[in-house]
Amino acid sequence: MMRLYNHFRIKDKHKKQARPTVIFCLIAFTLFRCGNEYSASIPEKVDFNFHVRPILVQKCYLCHGPDPSSREAGLRLDTFEGATALLEKGTRAIVPGHAEKSELVHRITHEDPDLRMPAIESNMELSEYEIAVLKKWIDQGTEWKPHWAFIAPDREAFQKVDNEEPIHQIDNFILDKIEQQGLEPAPQADKNALIRRVSYLLTGLPPTPEKINQFIADQSPDAYEKVVDHYLNSSAFGERWARHWMDVVRYAETKGHEFDYTIPGAWKYRDYLIRAFNEDVPYDLLVREHLAGDMMDSIRWNKETGFNESQLGTAFYAMGEGTHSPVDIRKDEADRIDNMIDVTTKTFQALTVSCARCHDHKFDPIPTADYYAMYGVMESSRFSQRPANLTFEKVENVTEIAAVSDALKNMVAGQWLKESTTVSTKVSAKSPKAPEIASHPGYEVMADFRNGDLDGWKSEGYAFGQQTTLGELIFDKKNKNLLKIADGKASSQQLTKGIYGALRSPNFTIDKNFIGVKAMGENATVRIIIDNFQLIQNPIYGELDKKINSKVWKNIKFNLSPWKGHKAYIEILPGTFKKHVYQLPENAFVDVEYVVAFEKEWPSLKNSSNAEITNVRQAIEDWANNKCSPQQVKTLNNLLNKKILSGHFPEANPLLKKKKLLAQHLVDSTFFMGISEGFGINSPVFNRGNHNDLSKEAVSRGFLSAITSENAPVVSTGSGRIELVDAILDPDNPLTSRVMVNRIWHHLFGRGIVETVDNFGLQGKLPTHPQLLDYLALRFQEDKWSIKKMIRHIVMTKAFKRSVSAGSRAQKIDPNNLWLSHFPVRRLESEAIRDGLLMVAGNFNPEMYGPPVPVHLTEFMQGRGRPGTSGPIDGDGKRSIYQEVRRNFMQPMMLIFDRPIPFSTFGKRNVTNVPAQSLILMNDPFVLQQAEIMAKDIISQNNKNIDTRLEYIYIKALGREPEQAELEQAKTFINTLAKSHDIKEDDVLDSLDVWKDYCHSVFNLKEFIYLI
Amino acid sequence: MGNHKIHKPLTRREMLGICKGGFGSLAFLSLFGGVSTACKQLSDPSSTLAQLAQTPNYMPKAKNVIFLYMDGGVSQVDSFDPKPRLEKENGEDPNKKFKVDATQFGNVGKILKSPWKFKQYGECGMPVSELFPHIATCVDDIALVRSMVSNFPEHTNANYFLHTGSGIQGRPSMGAWVTYGLGSENNNLPGYVVLDGGLIPPGGLDNFKSGFLPASYQASILKAGPVPLANITPQELVEGLQNQKLAFIKQMDNSLIGNLGHADAVESAISNYELAYKMQSSVPELTEFSSESDATQKLYGMQSDDPHTRSYGAQCLLARRLIERGVRFVEVTCPKVKADRWDQHGGLKDGHERNAHAVDQPIAGLLKDLKSRGLMEETLVIWTGEFGRTPFAQGSDGRDHNPSAFSMWMAGAGIKGGTIYGKTDDYGYRVIENEVSVHDIHATMLHLLGVNHERLTFRFGGRDIRLTDVHGHIVHDILA
Repeated sequence: MMRLYNHFRIKDKHKKQARPTVIFCLIAFTLFRCGNEYSASIPEKVDFNFHVRPILVQKCYLCHGPDPSSREAGLRLDTFEGATALLEKGTRAIVPGHAEKSELVHRITHEDPDLRMPAIESNMELSEYEIAVLKKWIDQGTEWKPHWAFIAPDREAFQKVDNEEPIHQIDNFILDKIEQQGLEPAPQADKNALIRRVSYLLTGLPPTPEKINQFIADQSPDAYEKVVDHYLNSSAFGERWARHWMDVVRYAETKGHEFDYTIPGAWKYRDYLIRAFNEDVPYDLLVREHLAGDMMDSIRWNKETGFNESQLGTAFYAMGEGTHSPVDIRKDEADRIDNMIDVTTKTFQALTVSCARCHDHKFDPIPTADYYAMYGVMESSRFSQRPANLTFEKVENVTEIAAVSDALKNMVAGQWLKESTTVSTKVSAKSPKAPEIASHPGYEVMADFRNGDLDGWKSEGYAFGQQTTLGELIFDKKNKNLLKIADGKASSQQLTKGIYGALRSPNFTIDKNFIGVKAMGENATVRIIIDNFQLIQNPIYGELDKKINSKVWKNIKFNLSPWKGHKAYIEILPGTFKKHVYQLPENAFVDVEYVVAFEKEWPSLKNSSNAEITNVRQAIEDWANNKCSPQQVKTLNNLLNKKILSGHFPEANPLLKKKKLLAQHLVDSTFFMGISEGFGINSPVFNRGNHNDLSKEAVSRGFLSAITSENAPVVSTGSGRIELVDAILDPDNPLTSRVMVNRIWHHLFGRGIVETVDNFGLQGKLPTHPQLLDYLALRFQEDKWSIKKMIRHIVMTKAFKRSVSAGSRAQKIDPNNLWLSHFPVRRLESEAIRDGLLMVAGNFNPEMYGPPVPVHLTEFMQGRGRPGTSGPIDGDGKRSIYQEVRRNFMQPMMLIFDRPIPFSTFGKRNVTNVPAQSLILMNDPFVLQQAEIMAKDIISQNNKNIDTRLEYIYIKALGREPEQAELEQAKTFINTLAKSHDIKEDDVLDSLDVWKDYCHSVFNLKEFIYLI
Repeated sequence: MGNHKIHKPLTRREMLGICKGGFGSLAFLSLFGGVSTACKQLSDPSSTLAQLAQTPNYMPKAKNVIFLYMDGGVSQVDSFDPKPRLEKENGEDPNKKFKVDATQFGNVGKILKSPWKFKQYGECGMPVSELFPHIATCVDDIALVRSMVSNFPEHTNANYFLHTGSGIQGRPSMGAWVTYGLGSENNNLPGYVVLDGGLIPPGGLDNFKSGFLPASYQASILKAGPVPLANITPQELVEGLQNQKLAFIKQMDNSLIGNLGHADAVESAISNYELAYKMQSSVPELTEFSSESDATQKLYGMQSDDPHTRSYGAQCLLARRLIERGVRFVEVTCPKVKADRWDQHGGLKDGHERNAHAVDQPIAGLLKDLKSRGLMEETLVIWTGEFGRTPFAQGSDGRDHNPSAFSMWMAGAGIKGGTIYGKTDDYGYRVIENEVSVHDIHATMLHLLGVNHERLTFRFGGRDIRLTDVHGHIVHDILA
């Protein structure tokens, strides 16, 4: 059972209608648009969601909606209770069953324009149609139910049709609508059009002449199916669909702002997506990896390289903008988190939750408290570099090293226990106790690593392990004798140097002037992360990042007085940041003894107790069980020094060697920016979105109350990202599956079943085919969230295979092709245009993956953060997905052909028509270069028959043979070109000028950039 | 309410009628956003039609805007807001005088007097510092606002804020909003042009983008010089060759349309080529200054000894030529002088002097030229930086960013010249009277263009978003 948010609670007598069967039962659905004079007649049975609510949302909710701050006259029309409540004047806005008694009807039909609703200032009016619908709805009993998108798809209805082949079932839904509208379905597209369509839509590339010819020649009934499977299994498929997804997650490789700093390893996330789409990683797993890939129960390892794939999903969080010196650091955090909430909720739920940052959502059942429940989840997570080459093998190595260490210890302990019988057990009477730091007022110990544990700090990665060094065996490097057992310190070199790890404190509020860290190390860093701010540099924040390069203990002191009152945590790690890119040299390590906060002077240390402890046997046993105290260690070392306990263990040699060997494989070298768990914080509500005006009570971390299952686990420890992803993937979540199948539909048909692919809320568009949407949503889950299967079902339908020619009735009554009686004419996306050019020209470099090709800079691309060198004009011939995405230096061709600016979720691109597009195709050196490459290729083939030469160009560029008339026109044109270039007739076939101009002209045909 | 519509809304049928006209009618106009809101409907046919052609909402005073952007932040106390107290307390500790906010560099020095003298000018007696002797001669046409505030002390955020009404990347620029609302009057030129004087502000070209508005409304970046616009130069070396190619392309495209029977989008893409072709001559013609008299060029400082004055003068002249041709919104960015932008964290005297010298004469020339040609009555000129500077020093001889007070001015259509509006405290550090926000400037600008800022909206991410967000008040006191 999903808990319906309060606003949707239904009166008892309406309860029957409230259950989810509604969508499938909906037969008399007439497409409705506001203010639409020519709209169809009033429906026989008025449906609340499809007929009434759009009127209420558009015309009433600004003043009578969910947000109390803008509510007028105490009237709310977003709940049944509100709409039927007794008003101050003694009337009711709606009296169910009685339009004539309803104040609402009186007011919307009032003769006095000053009293008529909507109020004159709103500049809105109700049409006759809308008034009639509202009246009829009230008369018919005032049916009330939740917004369609919050009612889960009906599984029973699904089961009824589930025996049908999905492809046919989809067609049935489409045909129903076509017939209802009295439209004729268009015939199937010809084979040339079809293969070009499938090739471009599945792979973003034109079909090769070989593939076209093969398809045309293949008369078998499954010829089309074979083509579909070929493209679904092509590696270019992942490149196409990853790029779609990158629009949704605001993919970028730099942070924008003033200097456009790099987002480290962003491209590894791009490659992750390409692999994931190609391997058809189930969508639910993809979602989990995006939101909590750092905390998987079962990690997905790359089958070839062995790398941890799951964690790469978390780069999703790190794709936002970054400001290097925000004066108001808390506001910067709020803006960053707002972007994370915005993108997370739009991407996976098609809800605009960030509208609730300052006030309850004006239209959707999303109170501000929900926003800050999610805010807490994001605030409790910490941006972190993560080692990209983490393999299963490494994880095993770490386990093995631990086993070897235990074996060593057991071996020593076994021997010592034998020897200890001779030692007096009464050395001293003092109980084991940790050494102390003088505790004056004005000092506070933030961490003491001289004990065995990490004092509540979080150790990420393998460098620091989960223990301090206390009790580690230290052997003489030469004679392999046991020298001593180690004192306690947090150390990143427990296994070896150059391993990644970060030691992070819990959150605290800065209340003292200084923080001191006693540490030593090489190429290591200590940072104070205030309000989760990591782009640490001068001016302002330079103090917060200190390098450690010292082989002896050193007191590292931070002056935090300017930031008193701020939330912070301390981060200690081997490696350094260079222009905000993390680097880990092989010799990097850091050891830390303790961390203190103090007001003025660094506190002096009390000598640790000289007292030794009573029970040597106990000490040995505790030590062997990793539970010993520093005093016990001291005792054992004393006995070892006095040779009472022996240090000669020749059997240790092979184990030590093994340990060393295993550790060598653990060194980390490449990183990406992702996220990791911090400590749970609940956020207060920021009143009116103002971070300086906080509510007294904090909101428990959580997800949207309107769609969270009643028995969902409450976030207790941890950030709550696990619970977040569980709520999104709850089988009863009404949105997750619908949203994704709708995105897939959008990419294939050019428009989603819900046109507003990123907004399923009350302000979004209604689905044109609600039953189909729900069918697909449930089908998707039945198919174990297989994206490829879903795509395959859809592209195998008759609906997908129809030609683009619209019948006369369709042109008249369905100019926007909502009912899909034919396939829409679509312009190719920027990437497909560029990639198509490369491919057709023969300049296509199929190399996949890797660091981005630097952006080609023109003189019009200026400003701070401009890269020192420009990339190649043709991007090395690699696909557009591999070209650098620098926020402040975006490739003009991509932008001009409507690639969105990466700041929020863009599931649906604009398709604009601007002269700059024509100017690119006419005059851009890149396009001319491709024309020249193609011309050279054609001439080099030395085909002396101009007809077949032209046919070759046609099939390559347009996917079809030229018609006779076109051949003639082309030849005439070529003659014209030859004359202009002063080329003799005999030389035409070898003239680069002529063929370059011809190819260039072909690139400029509309057919080249449109799917016809 | 007083917002009488000039046009009555088009009905859906009427709009479809226009839109179906194919070549030369709406599809053609739409390329630069002519009858712009209508064309939004074309790309998004199912959105509410009621908004159609609702702009302008008022009788407009201004037709065009020239936005003179003082990148980096001009110091108000050194230009238009004299503060004698700084002179008196020069060298004293500001912390003892007032509460000092956190600054970008956190390197707060002593109170720093202005290195420049102020003098009163014009009939209105507006004080202007020695930095701007030429602009000073135009003060009777200028409405000065001394009480500006911004929400951001960082360049990039403040730039985005000033240009788009939001401090983060991705929102449409004001020029995009204006062309979206009003369309362009010239079908051969873009409606929104940025003249790149050499400095692209921090935040980059995103300051000039159309955000979630269709790309048709984004700025075209023009440079004065032989290649003013990207890809504007035909690459064909042989005379007439490009025409031949375009003729062939058109022939083939038309037969494609013939086969398809219908395809508005493809038809529009075809007409797009005609416009692109025309731009190849109309854009370079803009930078042909030979038709401008010697006196005009001199007026703009184009014969100055300072190469930056000459270069900025050319940009200002180009701005005039653009608005003359019906371009709706022109932004002029600053030249790259030796001291970088107006961002003098150190070396205030030298840096501000270099920047002022580069722009002073050209701006005065522009105002005078507009006036003499009668263009001042239809053109709104806006002069501003993204924020002001601190009245105390950064280090010893610079000034840090100050979003709590700065000066800006407007001149031209609908503006009450000789006005001084708003007041700062004795140090010019904070506004104490008639605070004006960036949103207010946007609202006022749109108002002068005949647009109600609360009604110029675009649905994105579930909200009807405005240039002024949920803010903005018209500054009536500076209007004629």
